Amino acid sequence: MTETYDWLCTMLVAEYKIDPSRLVLDTPLEDLGIDSLGMAELLFNVEDEFGITLPPEPVDLPTLAHVVRFIDALILTRKAGQDASAAALPEHSANGAGTLKPDPT
Amino acid sequence: MRRVAVTGLGLVSPLGHVAEEAFGAARAGKSAIHRLDVPFAGRLVSPLAATVQFDAAEHFELPRQRMLDRVSQFALVAARRALADSDAGFSAAERSRTGVFIGTGMGGINTIDEGYQTLYGEESDRIKPFMIFMGMYNAPAAWIGIEHGFSGPNLTYSTACSSSAVAIGEAWLKLAHGDLDLAVAGGAEAPLSLGSLKAWEALRTVASVDALDASTSCKPFSKDRSGMVLGEGAAVLVLESWERAVARGAFIHGELIGYGLTTDTGHITQPTVAGQAAAMRAALQSAAIDASAVDAINAHGTGTRANDGVETAAIKDVFGERAPFIPISATKALHGHLLGATAALEVVLSLLAMQHSVALPTMNLQVPDPDCDLDYVPNAAREGLAIRTMLSNSFAFGGTNAVLALRAAP
Repeated sequence: MTETYDWLCTMLVAEYKIDPSRLVLDTPLEDLGIDSLGMAELLFNVEDEFGITLPPEPVDLPTLAHVVRFIDALILTRKAGQDASAAALPEHSANGAGTLKPDPT
Repeated sequence: MRRVAVTGLGLVSPLGHVAEEAFGAARAGKSAIHRLDVPFAGRLVSPLAATVQFDAAEHFELPRQRMLDRVSQFALVAARRALADSDAGFSAAERSRTGVFIGTGMGGINTIDEGYQTLYGEESDRIKPFMIFMGMYNAPAAWIGIEHGFSGPNLTYSTACSSSAVAIGEAWLKLAHGDLDLAVAGGAEAPLSLGSLKAWEALRTVASVDALDASTSCKPFSKDRSGMVLGEGAAVLVLESWERAVARGAFIHGELIGYGLTTDTGHITQPTVAGQAAAMRAALQSAAIDASAVDAINAHGTGTRANDGVETAAIKDVFGERAPFIPISATKALHGHLLGATAALEVVLSLLAMQHSVALPTMNLQVPDPDCDLDYVPNAAREGLAIRTMLSNSFAFGGTNAVLALRAAP
């Protein structure tokens, strides 16, 4: 959680020009000027940074804490998937990108 | 019909960012066309363009900047400058009735190009989330409305090279008919992506690089003309009802007095004498003036084989025996062809030409062409002319011929 939170804070300060003193976990993102478009961009960057794939369905992430928990859950899911793959396969073949969707195969 | 004053001029232009500065460069015949110094220049057959000096970071905070294609950045900055110049003092009620009318031929082509590079060039599906609204054609106009709270009609016109003439003309109609008291009208274009430049080259309409001086490569009405040179930028006018402008003591740059619009239906790119002449006549008719009242013309004058001879014949058709005595200026030799923004830039230059009693030069006209035998004010501005009324011609692929009639401020 700390790593994710730190990355988010760094990104929000650098890219969204948000005053660091306003970055509190329970602050509504809307109050920070992150609207639906800002959230779409933020989640795009999250996918790149953490090598995860977000579900296509809309997600309700009203505060920074919600975003952090959401990302961390996805990271955990990806790791679990990688561990399972590694155990099942003679050679590790995970490409670093996880998904919330079940593997179609 | 009500009179319509132009009370604000705003530019982001290859000739300069202040209207008087750009006019001064045009008057002096200083070309903004140059060899393109970009990483992909080696892939261009004719690496020429008229570019603007523009640092987006000077004008936009980072989060907003990431939402704006270059074309919207140009439009927003030009609109800010026009509004500052006008100092119109919009009340809240007036903002709710102020229209935004913007022309663009290629919209957010840089964003689209970049997205396709990701998709096809890099074979990645990581399309950025803002591509849709950055690339859409109405983004420049929409952003102007958002930034200034102008909630009247917000319209985008995309009629290729006449887009901003149509935008200004349609705004003029709204004001002249009393539907609006204030409008922001003009055009924006940022067509210098690799995809766009290669597409224009493929059409074989782009000028060859002049071997001695690249800045002279665009040669309107000259026998040795070889095509147009693309330019980028934006030009925006503040249009205001004459009564309002006079009542508040505004500086009036000039008056829009007419607008003619016709369409060639014979071909997607070939212009016709009849269509261009009909547009000029329509502008005269809407301005309720006789052809004899026209003192000068800003030509479409692209420097292409197709346009310049046809435009010359169309001017002869409309003005008859007077045609050889009307100064005709083709300023694209200097600022390039800004496509959807070019007409608005040329209107700005024409209004200032009238203010300063100058006919702007058609540069690089060195070789007479028997098919182009009118007075194009070759190679040097003509000073001390009493120019009260002008036509500004814009003729487009797709056949949309738009002509604006302008009058000097009293």
